[in-house]
Amino acid sequence: MTADRPSSETITEARNLYLSFGETPALRGASLTVQRGESVAVMGPSGSGKSTLLHCLAGILVPDEGEVWYDGQRLDTVSDDRRSALRRDRFGFVFQYGQLVPELTAEENVALPLLLSGTRRGPAMEAARAWFPALGLDGLERRRSGELSGGQAQRVALARGLVADPEVLFADEPTGSLDSVAGELVMDLLTAAVRTRGTTVVLVTHDARVAAYADREVIVRDGKVSTLTGAAP
Amino acid sequence: MIPLGLRLVVSGGREAITRLMILTIAVGLGVGLLLTAVAATNAVSTWNGRNAWFWTGSAWAPPSPATGAAPLWWHPSGDTFHSQPIDRFDVAATGASSPVPPGIPRDPAPGQYYASPALVALMRGTPANQLANRYPGHLAGVIDDAALPSPNSLVLIVGRTPAQLAQSPDSIQVTSVSTTVPGDPGNPDREVNPHGLTYMPPNAGAPASASDLILSVVALAILAPVLIFIATATRLSAARREARFAAMRLAGATRAQVSLLAATESTVAGVAGVAAGFGIFFLLRTPVAGIPFIGAPFFPSELSLSLLDVLVVAIGVPVAAAVAARLALHRVRISPLGVARRATPKPPRAWRVVPLLAGLAELGFWAVRGHPASISGQVQAFVSSFALILVGLFIAGPWLTMAAARTLARWTSRPSTLIAARRLGDDPRAAFRAVSGLVLALFITTVAVVAITTQNAKGLTQWGSAAEANVLTDQVSASEQVAQNNGPGANGGTAVPGPAAPAGPLTAQLSRIPGVYGVLVVRADPGLTIPGRFHDLGVNGITGQVSPVPAGVVSCAQLATLPALGRCPAGAMAAAVPADGFNGPLSGIDATTLTWPAANVPAARLATLGVDAIDVGTNGSTPAVEEARTLLESAPYPGRSTPSTISDIVAQDNSTDNDYQQLANVVILVSLPIAGCTLAAGIAAGLADRKRPFSLLRLTGARLATLRRVVALEGAVPLLSVAAVAIGTGFGAAALYASEAEQHPMVAPGAPYYLLTAGGIIVSLGVIAATFPLLQRITGPEAARNE
Repeated sequence: MTADRPSSETITEARNLYLSFGETPALRGASLTVQRGESVAVMGPSGSGKSTLLHCLAGILVPDEGEVWYDGQRLDTVSDDRRSALRRDRFGFVFQYGQLVPELTAEENVALPLLLSGTRRGPAMEAARAWFPALGLDGLERRRSGELSGGQAQRVALARGLVADPEVLFADEPTGSLDSVAGELVMDLLTAAVRTRGTTVVLVTHDARVAAYADREVIVRDGKVSTLTGAAP
Repeated sequence: MIPLGLRLVVSGGREAITRLMILTIAVGLGVGLLLTAVAATNAVSTWNGRNAWFWTGSAWAPPSPATGAAPLWWHPSGDTFHSQPIDRFDVAATGASSPVPPGIPRDPAPGQYYASPALVALMRGTPANQLANRYPGHLAGVIDDAALPSPNSLVLIVGRTPAQLAQSPDSIQVTSVSTTVPGDPGNPDREVNPHGLTYMPPNAGAPASASDLILSVVALAILAPVLIFIATATRLSAARREARFAAMRLAGATRAQVSLLAATESTVAGVAGVAAGFGIFFLLRTPVAGIPFIGAPFFPSELSLSLLDVLVVAIGVPVAAAVAARLALHRVRISPLGVARRATPKPPRAWRVVPLLAGLAELGFWAVRGHPASISGQVQAFVSSFALILVGLFIAGPWLTMAAARTLARWTSRPSTLIAARRLGDDPRAAFRAVSGLVLALFITTVAVVAITTQNAKGLTQWGSAAEANVLTDQVSASEQVAQNNGPGANGGTAVPGPAAPAGPLTAQLSRIPGVYGVLVVRADPGLTIPGRFHDLGVNGITGQVSPVPAGVVSCAQLATLPALGRCPAGAMAAAVPADGFNGPLSGIDATTLTWPAANVPAARLATLGVDAIDVGTNGSTPAVEEARTLLESAPYPGRSTPSTISDIVAQDNSTDNDYQQLANVVILVSLPIAGCTLAAGIAAGLADRKRPFSLLRLTGARLATLRRVVALEGAVPLLSVAAVAIGTGFGAAALYASEAEQHPMVAPGAPYYLLTAGGIIVSLGVIAATFPLLQRITGPEAARNE
């Protein structure tokens, strides 16, 4: 049954997670605690289970064993609808590529999480547009995803991940498809935005330069988490 | 390269197999419907040939050549049972070499008759006093199918003596049986046999050109959605296919080799589709044969294909598929570095609405200014307006789709509506293409159904009042006015009053039939007329000339039993009424309100006068009407035409229209689900294109219901809006057509039209909903994980 409730400083926590895809184990007793306002970089080689861990923390995947806590509540035992609502209202996401809806303009893509939460069109678009100058996207509001460069598209995705003012931002290889200059720009902007707002960040990357933007780094190897820097896992 | 292409087709995984199967189904449906249309056209030719002998002795059929054969006395006449027409031919051979009608081994001897299988079955299932007693003698055999246009044809060949038919004014001697259907029957200028009978059989056949045209329109209305379905199906998993081709280019394949690979894949689908199509054709053959495309069902064996038809389809379709695949590949440039795609297509321009507006303006012009006076002018005006509207709908469709989608996207707060509207507005041509086939199908069927309903409603008012509808009228003699009635089954000729006796016993017999409430005998009084303009009688509708109406005399006591036919002046013993006995020329006047002029004929003299007509008031039930009809036909009066009720005449008048209406229903039922399939294929292709963003949206908390709404809107909005526009325009065009060409307010079609349309739309929406599980599957968490 449930173990001790995490402290109020802990916003999300994975406890001894096991998860297999068919016969292939992805997580084998992975544990990770993330404090409120902290940014944690999850590193590891390909296939180590770092993205799976992030997906479990975000309530996208449910572990076969173990517990996932968010803000003092078990996340792995609640319904899919409840987890969807949490992802929509409390979490933000940035992925590696292909996350923009191709038919929508950049500003509509940014406004999408607000519209999905029931915000009226006018305020949603206004909030979306406010992100463009800060991210160096001025004048690109009406462009479609196919008319943006990779770096621009990723900054639009970042804006979309943050527009609803989430408590936790999950970023899965956010610079994986960018060159180093564009990647640095995205990470600078991401870091600045989350620090200003006090947003918690869980960042999956295999790039040490990207991981360096985080307060703390952990490494996932063979489905288990070990500490590299900062506080204990 | 071809073996490699074949291996790729079968080893491309579940997606490739699914694509192949959908393409096969689409091509199979198209080929099946194409083969059915070709076979139906062949069947019409056969059907027409089988109607030809009904025209023997007619003024519009060539006279019999001098063959040296002994002449055959030939007396064609029409009959009716429960509003179904019966072709009856009384014949008398004058020698062993007399011609024999097709389908029977020899001419029937006096006292014998041959009947078609359907008529034999009808006679066996009906009390003799309602049908079989009309025909003298006994059944000698069944007419072979080879002589019948349709399995449900009611045909009778009765044997007579030459002397019997020689006395009949509507008999003729022939030395051969007609083998062609006249091109323009009924037209006095097209009579080719001056001695022929001005007779038109109830089952007259149709000129091949007319039925071919109708079948072509029907085939087009059904095939257009199928072709669009095939085109859409080819887009399924296009992105993955093109990526595969790009990888091959990188490995050194030339452009021609890649093109050959694509053609091989399409040819496999084409061949499989042709095989499926022949299967669908053979499955459809029997049910399709039962659809009365041209007024009667076909024999299933008549829906056949010639060797040439089979070869053209079996070879032509795969070849066309291969050519289409090569052409399609030309549109995307596949380089070793990937697929160079066009950016967002250029938006359609506003000029596209001009033809539609021009068509509506032209129709409006005729509505305001009044239609042309001549029939040909009317046809030209309405056909050109409808054609312009139809073409205009096709051309304007993408622009209207874009305008509506952009407006929706600009104002909506719902993310599902926003995504769907942006998708539709992004490539409105593709969005509209998926449902464009519906425009043709729904516009044509709506106009046809509304026009037919209006014409049918007008038919009843044209022929008589509702109160009169079930009065059975037997025109015993033919007045001048009756002779002008050259409807099916009617003979032209001179007026010959019937004999005076024995009307009394017949009247008594008729009165005893359950369901008969009154009998009126119209007696001939040569020279007696009703003044012209007496309640619009005697007015020529075209020239406006007024002439006295030939009248007969009726007993006021008898007229009182049939209030539907009017009444006598107070105190009168006899009254003058139209000599034809109310069979048609009252032209919609409700006789119940009429007071006929008194006639100064004493009762004693009335009984001595010849009989012009007999009217029998019935409750409209089949037993009452048919028993009365059988008695009248068996009576010793030389009937000039089949005793008929207004209901019979209206039913026969409307039968062809009703058949076309059924055809329209078939088009609706087939085209709507096919359009649904097209939309579903388009949606599936679109989902595959957006697999990643959609699955990521789901991961970020978007409800599956929201994504379902996107899919539903992308499919349902074009379907419903195009259906609404096509149906609305169809109603508008039909309303203008009704008021101008028919001079009658538009009459809305009955419930079956709405039920069929709604049913078709629901089936289409169901097909679209069938993509929901696909959405759920391809947007699952595993689809978005970074592998």
